[in-house]
Amino acid sequence: MKPLVVIGGGPAGYVAAITAARQGKQVTLIEQKDLGGTCLNEGCMPTKSLLASAEAYEKIKQAEQFGITLPLEQVKINWDGVQHHKTTIVKKLVQGIGYLMKKNKIKVMKGEASFLTNHRLAVQNENQVEEVEAEQFIIASGSEPASLPFAPFDGKWIIHSGQAMSLPAIPSSLLIVGGGVIGCEFASIYSQMGAKVTIVEAADQLLPGEDADIAFTLQEELEKKGVAIYTSASLTEMQPEYKTALFKHKEELHELQVDYALISIGRKPRVLGLGLEKIGVHFSKQGIDVNEHMQTNVPNIYACGDVVGGIQLAHVAFHEGTVAALDACGKDKNVNYRAVPRCIYTHPEIASVGMTEKQARQEYGDVRIGEFSFTANGKAMITNEPIGKVKVIVEPQFNEIIGLSIIGSHATELIGQGTVMLHGELTTDVMEDFIAAHPTLSEAIHEALLHSAGQAVHS
Amino acid sequence: MAAEVVMPKLGLAMKEGTVSTWNKKVGDSVSKGDMIASINSEKIEMEIEAPQDGVILDILVQEDVGVPPGTIICYVGNPNEQLTEQSRSANELQAPKNEVAATISLEEPPVNATPSKKSKETVRISPIAKKIAESENINIETIKGTGPKGRITKADVEKVLTERASEASYSPSEIDTSSIKKETLPVAGMRKVIAGRMHNSLLNSAQLTINMKADVTDLLSLQREIKDVIHQRHEVKISLTDFIARAVVLSLQEHKQMNSAYMDNEIHLYHHIHLGMAVALENGLVVLVMQHAEKMSLVELAAEIKTRAADARQGQLGTDRMQGSTFTITNLGAYGVEYFTPVLNPPETGILGVGATEDVPIYKGDELQRRSVLPLSLTFDHRVLDGAPAANFLGTIKQYLEQPILLLL
Repeated sequence: MKPLVVIGGGPAGYVAAITAARQGKQVTLIEQKDLGGTCLNEGCMPTKSLLASAEAYEKIKQAEQFGITLPLEQVKINWDGVQHHKTTIVKKLVQGIGYLMKKNKIKVMKGEASFLTNHRLAVQNENQVEEVEAEQFIIASGSEPASLPFAPFDGKWIIHSGQAMSLPAIPSSLLIVGGGVIGCEFASIYSQMGAKVTIVEAADQLLPGEDADIAFTLQEELEKKGVAIYTSASLTEMQPEYKTALFKHKEELHELQVDYALISIGRKPRVLGLGLEKIGVHFSKQGIDVNEHMQTNVPNIYACGDVVGGIQLAHVAFHEGTVAALDACGKDKNVNYRAVPRCIYTHPEIASVGMTEKQARQEYGDVRIGEFSFTANGKAMITNEPIGKVKVIVEPQFNEIIGLSIIGSHATELIGQGTVMLHGELTTDVMEDFIAAHPTLSEAIHEALLHSAGQAVHS
Repeated sequence: MAAEVVMPKLGLAMKEGTVSTWNKKVGDSVSKGDMIASINSEKIEMEIEAPQDGVILDILVQEDVGVPPGTIICYVGNPNEQLTEQSRSANELQAPKNEVAATISLEEPPVNATPSKKSKETVRISPIAKKIAESENINIETIKGTGPKGRITKADVEKVLTERASEASYSPSEIDTSSIKKETLPVAGMRKVIAGRMHNSLLNSAQLTINMKADVTDLLSLQREIKDVIHQRHEVKISLTDFIARAVVLSLQEHKQMNSAYMDNEIHLYHHIHLGMAVALENGLVVLVMQHAEKMSLVELAAEIKTRAADARQGQLGTDRMQGSTFTITNLGAYGVEYFTPVLNPPETGILGVGATEDVPIYKGDELQRRSVLPLSLTFDHRVLDGAPAANFLGTIKQYLEQPILLLL
């Protein structure tokens, strides 16, 4: 098999490399920094580690309710310990990917790749440049945090998500610009750890891609933890020298002095510096253009993951990387975005798949909604996590399950059931007879499905 | 356990492959590595080997029927092995519907093999797809599934509905054709690709052909003089075609507009020359591509042409060696053709047709001499360049062929 080069060792890249190697390709993977990409080093994994520490702290503070007496005044967060927990996990996972590379006989090169021709790359590592030739290439160079034009990242006061997870200490105050997934997760982490957090979001709700009532439940929970939330608000000025931000909310100008200002307004694909223009690969600011096989307009070059824009989630990147590699190895493989779960690791967690209620009403007009609250779920009460609900959206003519949203404990695990339902194109009548284990949080999903058909038992 | 044998994907662009010959039939014993079928796809032919010892349990794709890569074409397993209903239904959904019925040759059905007729119970279909199909009175057995293992999805059913809606209420008049005897040959595999490409070529460009003849008497003498030396040193038998190829490469370097492609209302000039050369095979035509021919000497080019042509004849030419040409040469000289109208190999701007060398009397000054002339036909895309520059290009080729020493430099 002819050689294949993967640019980028994040979720899309390393999965593509492993898949291609398992198909018998001679694979080289080029990575500038550490294997694992944003997900492992600056995204999913470290933030979830911080969240786990914050939640453990929260849980310990509830000890009395579980019948455990502690000297609560002595329970404190050891920030160095939190960071150690995070870096230990990240290090282990990075090593794990390194092991997978070796196991699959993938050559890993460190450096920055740039195309010279559509069969040759220059790889620059410090002052050395090495050229690599291959028959095929998979670009998985990922994305980077987008910045505000009038407030570039300085790493000192104006920070991005990668910097926000490695602060020298828990900040006493934090402004988060952007109430999307990343913004809400950091709000959850730092508010639970005692910081005074303020969110400024331009849309009229937090998490603009999610169901409004689910997002509002999160807003209430964050506000209970002291987070100040301004929706339909816009940042007008940043003054790093005074650590002061100005923003407008309801025609009123607010001034806020904070330790840090985290800009979390999205991520932009890393398309520059790859030499794409030299070899005629079509791309824009939104990412590299690809077809349903993740193939660019230059047939021997594929692209996948965040660099193609679209849904910038690690699990989508895994899938796209697999598709790109298999297609490059001669398997006729298409991407399938039929049911992509969306997970937000706040406290409480949010997870959804398929349409929101608003989207469903736009598409189908009238839809049926089934809901079940965790306040009526035994397991949620036992664990003292009764906040939240399951919401299922059903298309009225054939009872197809077209959306499922969950807010509550373990929502990101529970959503797997919804993903199967949407991927399998299931209808509610197929699901009516399924048996949910008792006592579990899963029962709430069953009840919500029954509710949509007017047959709920426990509500 | 029965092994699935699938239509391989032989190149990035491959959309369809055809079993040209089944060497085995259902029930035949095979050993691992036995040739069980010949397949052709677009411009490649290759043999399919048995993946394991056993018998052919089932053949799902008949000869000369095109199927997409990945389609299971047959099963090899133990003599008494029973294919599961599940795997069968998956296969049937993968293969095009109308062709499957004809493919299953059960002259010697394996013992205990279950009938492969698809029933509604065995059709893989999602619940919502099934409901919509039932409400619209669509027979689910007629729907092609695109989901995992051929599962029919909601989108597949919606596609049928869209097609149904767009079908014109056309009913052909009933003519009794039973008395008309005719033979139809399937247009599949390589023939299908050639048919499509040539038709599109004429539809989508402004083709004009000009002719010129070159006096190759001196070239043929030179070839006679140097061929043995070259053969001894480089083990390459240098032919007239190799000289023509070299002349074309040098001329393309001087006339860059001919080394181009017309795409999306833009003219793309190439800096490299990937020289295409049409080669007739037993049952079709392939275009070999000599990549970066501009970097090759005459001998290197000749060696590359020989290697690629041999690969093509043995069916070992990868599709990557048949794509990306920037200019093509086609030669019908061996068939006695003088001038002809080559058809552009899209999206290229030019193609040179080479005819048969003929000895003719020519006046050289006042003296009548026996000279060998070579007819040349250049088809070019008039959207890219006009007659005069095209004639200049052809004139340059002529000059090189008439001053062959330049081809050695």
